[in-house]
Amino acid sequence: MKFISLIFSLLYTAASAQINPGPRSLAMGSAGAALQDVWSLQYNQSGIAHLSRPVFALAYQRHFSDQELNTQKAVFAIPFSNHVFGIGFQRYGIKEYIEQTTSLAYSKNFSGALSLSIAIKHQQLSIAKYGSESLISVDAGMQYRVNEKFWIASHISNPAKTSFNDLASSNLPVTLSLGASFIFSDKVLLISDVQKLLNAGMDTKIGMEYKLINWFVIRGGLSVNPFKQYGGFGLIYQRFALDVAISSHLNLGYSPNLAFSYEF
Amino acid sequence: MSFKSIYTVFILIVFFLVPKKALCQEVSADIIDQILELLARDPDENLDYSELVERLNFYTKKPLDLNRATPEQLRELFFLSPLQINEILNHRAQNGSFLDALELQSLPSFDPEIISLLLNFVKVALYSPLQDLTAKKLLQQANHDLIFRMGQIIQKQAGFSSADSSKAPNYLGSPLKLLTRYRFNYANTLSASINMEKDAGEQFLDGNGNKGFDFYSGSISYRGQGLLKKLVLGDYGLQFGQGLTMWSGSGFGKGVGITTIAKQDFGLKPYSSVNEANFLRGVSASFGFKNISFTPFVSKKNFDASLGNSGLEIGSLNSSGLHRTKTEIENRNRLTSTIYGANIQYNTRNLNLGFSTYQTNFNMPFGEGKSLYEQYEFRGNSLTNLGFHYDYSRKNTYFFGEMAHSLNSGYGFINGLMTSLAPRVSLVLMHRKYTKNYHSFYNQSVSEASNAVNENGFYAAMALKFDAKWDLFIYSDFFKFPWLKFRVDAPSSGYEILAQLNYKMSKQFKISTRFKQQLREENASDNKSGFALESVDKQNFRLELIYAINNRFTFRNRAEVVRYKKGLSPFEIGFLSYQDIIYKPMSSKFSGNLRFGIFDTQSFNTRIYAYENDVLYSYSVPAYQGKGIRFYVNGRYTLIRGLDFWIRYAHANYYGQESVGSGNDLIKGNNRSDIRFQMRFQF
Repeated sequence: MKFISLIFSLLYTAASAQINPGPRSLAMGSAGAALQDVWSLQYNQSGIAHLSRPVFALAYQRHFSDQELNTQKAVFAIPFSNHVFGIGFQRYGIKEYIEQTTSLAYSKNFSGALSLSIAIKHQQLSIAKYGSESLISVDAGMQYRVNEKFWIASHISNPAKTSFNDLASSNLPVTLSLGASFIFSDKVLLISDVQKLLNAGMDTKIGMEYKLINWFVIRGGLSVNPFKQYGGFGLIYQRFALDVAISSHLNLGYSPNLAFSYEF
Repeated sequence: MSFKSIYTVFILIVFFLVPKKALCQEVSADIIDQILELLARDPDENLDYSELVERLNFYTKKPLDLNRATPEQLRELFFLSPLQINEILNHRAQNGSFLDALELQSLPSFDPEIISLLLNFVKVALYSPLQDLTAKKLLQQANHDLIFRMGQIIQKQAGFSSADSSKAPNYLGSPLKLLTRYRFNYANTLSASINMEKDAGEQFLDGNGNKGFDFYSGSISYRGQGLLKKLVLGDYGLQFGQGLTMWSGSGFGKGVGITTIAKQDFGLKPYSSVNEANFLRGVSASFGFKNISFTPFVSKKNFDASLGNSGLEIGSLNSSGLHRTKTEIENRNRLTSTIYGANIQYNTRNLNLGFSTYQTNFNMPFGEGKSLYEQYEFRGNSLTNLGFHYDYSRKNTYFFGEMAHSLNSGYGFINGLMTSLAPRVSLVLMHRKYTKNYHSFYNQSVSEASNAVNENGFYAAMALKFDAKWDLFIYSDFFKFPWLKFRVDAPSSGYEILAQLNYKMSKQFKISTRFKQQLREENASDNKSGFALESVDKQNFRLELIYAINNRFTFRNRAEVVRYKKGLSPFEIGFLSYQDIIYKPMSSKFSGNLRFGIFDTQSFNTRIYAYENDVLYSYSVPAYQGKGIRFYVNGRYTLIRGLDFWIRYAHANYYGQESVGSGNDLIKGNNRSDIRFQMRFQF
């Protein structure tokens, strides 16, 4: 299993490491370009522009039920009126293969309908016996509220095509995501993303969130390429929130994700 | 708004929404098309649509009273989901009788489209002394319905002639296809039906010993209000729960909508189709007392079957019902099954529980299969099935499921829920697990394979109505086959995704687009040792426009592209496009429709099936394959009230082919055409 996941991680690092979204997005098919919460820092940073209080969050994710391969994430965002700043850390891999990402993001909320963001990411890759290397990349994103119910969003990651020099097989992908969210009622939210990796395939994702009761939501979704099914739930207690997400891959099995956040 | 203006608006709405009944009270072709589109994601040649059309036709003529319709009757309409049926029942329980069918608009899961569809089959009858009078009148009425149909492929097929004049041709009968059916209905209480059929190539009076028709079926049935609810003598069908234990007749599975995934059973019913395999023959009755209903059944029926290698055991069942060649005639009725069992149910408005059990005995044992994938198939000559099914509705959610066991072998489980999360959002989740050794000869549970065996799966669907114009339906189905299958020499898995977006610009103009992808695994094409599986990717893209030019003519266009890819080989492409013209005047003796289609498919794998209109109660779902054009015209003429004629002519011309079809069906040349006549006499 370890071997398979290692191979898989090497193959899919390009696709997954760059965008390893928060549990809310993950439970909804890992669509989320048009979502607004602190975990937007891991995807479309424009989403943090709507925060009114500082928020801190932690997450832990296992990949394909493997004992070792995991991702640890921590994010923090703080608003100063319409200017919101965020910082995120992510560590992904196994002992022999580690990716560490630190990102700084700035997002501005224009008149409530439009938000723009820019983020700088520092990524370090260490592979046992091969050494380590780091690089800096840039993300930019926007979200626009078309009307009360409908949001559209777009996000580009690494438009400058920076890549690792020595560990050439681990190029940082250039990713363009287009997303939309539709608020059906106060209980139902629907989101969808179309994501294109430069020189690679396109993925369509769709997800849904349903507020069962005030403090409990359930989520589900799927992505098409590769085909994965997702599910999860969220618990909200005063300023605490606990989110659980599970994704299921056709052949590789389940990846559980647990996250916790606190709003100051 | 004053009361008066509300009233005016109401009258206007009534005026515009209630469809005007055509003179000929027959469910029209476009309504059936609409319903079939909802039920089956792909037109399937194996599905039996005639039964569905017959039932819909019945309710067109005798609309259901919304205030009295039983859940069972509402289920018979096929296109209503359990949630919608519950809403009708709850509305009646909470607000009393419907005063007008348009009250349906107040029910959350009914949109104008489904209401206008439903209004073809229901009415609101207010209780009045007059009604008693009509009921009495109805009681004196008996309806007879007699149909003759004949059809033939015009070109000569290879099976009908032999190169050697001293030898008989392979097909022993004539190429003519004949059907006679008769229905008798007395006040919806007593009914009888007879079907007599001869397929092309089967012997008629020319056979050994003047056999007459190849297939006969019939039944006499009674529907009552007392302890005895239903009784059928002769051929009947049984449908219980989710179809895992006992479900005869067609079971629609994954459709384009949430309606079909949770099966809605209606127990015992007389058999009326000409499918020659999937029914029971004998006697069955349904007794009801308070909330309990009890349905015992006995059946003795023959099956066509071919022998295994030893010659003493059954190798496989043949369900085509065709007896054209010597071999087919030899295999005919080789096997006799004796089935007895019963179903007991507890029914309340929100909760239904049922238990079924039956034993099947064969006069010959089933032998061991030759291949490894057949290892867990049924053997021996006796099988006992048990099944427990339930459904429960609470608020906006409907839970359903069935657990089944074939004694001394496997299990099957299916569980799901259907919920309307918000007025315009419905969700279905369903899990299924059928073990590799689960056996049932009447099993129509939802499955990716043709039978509910050797499969685990999870299905999720969502139906969204963004507003009055836009709606979207999506499903994904993930499946695993834990044991080998035919042409799959290893455990395999796959998935299927469907998305359909509909845009209804106006009442006259509709557009829909559909994407479907299915990915599964199969033996590699060049590997005979057979351990490596290759993935098979099939994608369908479809665009359809429907527009009513005026109140007589409706046009419909469809373009469909299929992409098929196996392993690393390049995509094969198939293309089909057609134009339909539907002529349906408000009141005229003549109605009809025609299609002109063009197709270009690279291979057998990229063939495209499309449903075609046919004479009433008949249906055709040909595969468009190769390169060419296809045309049909289908017309109906009402000579006098009670006497109707249909004629249908279909023609396909293939480009650059020297023959059409293969084997006994081979036609020399590049044309294939068939013609069909039908006459109906009602008295």
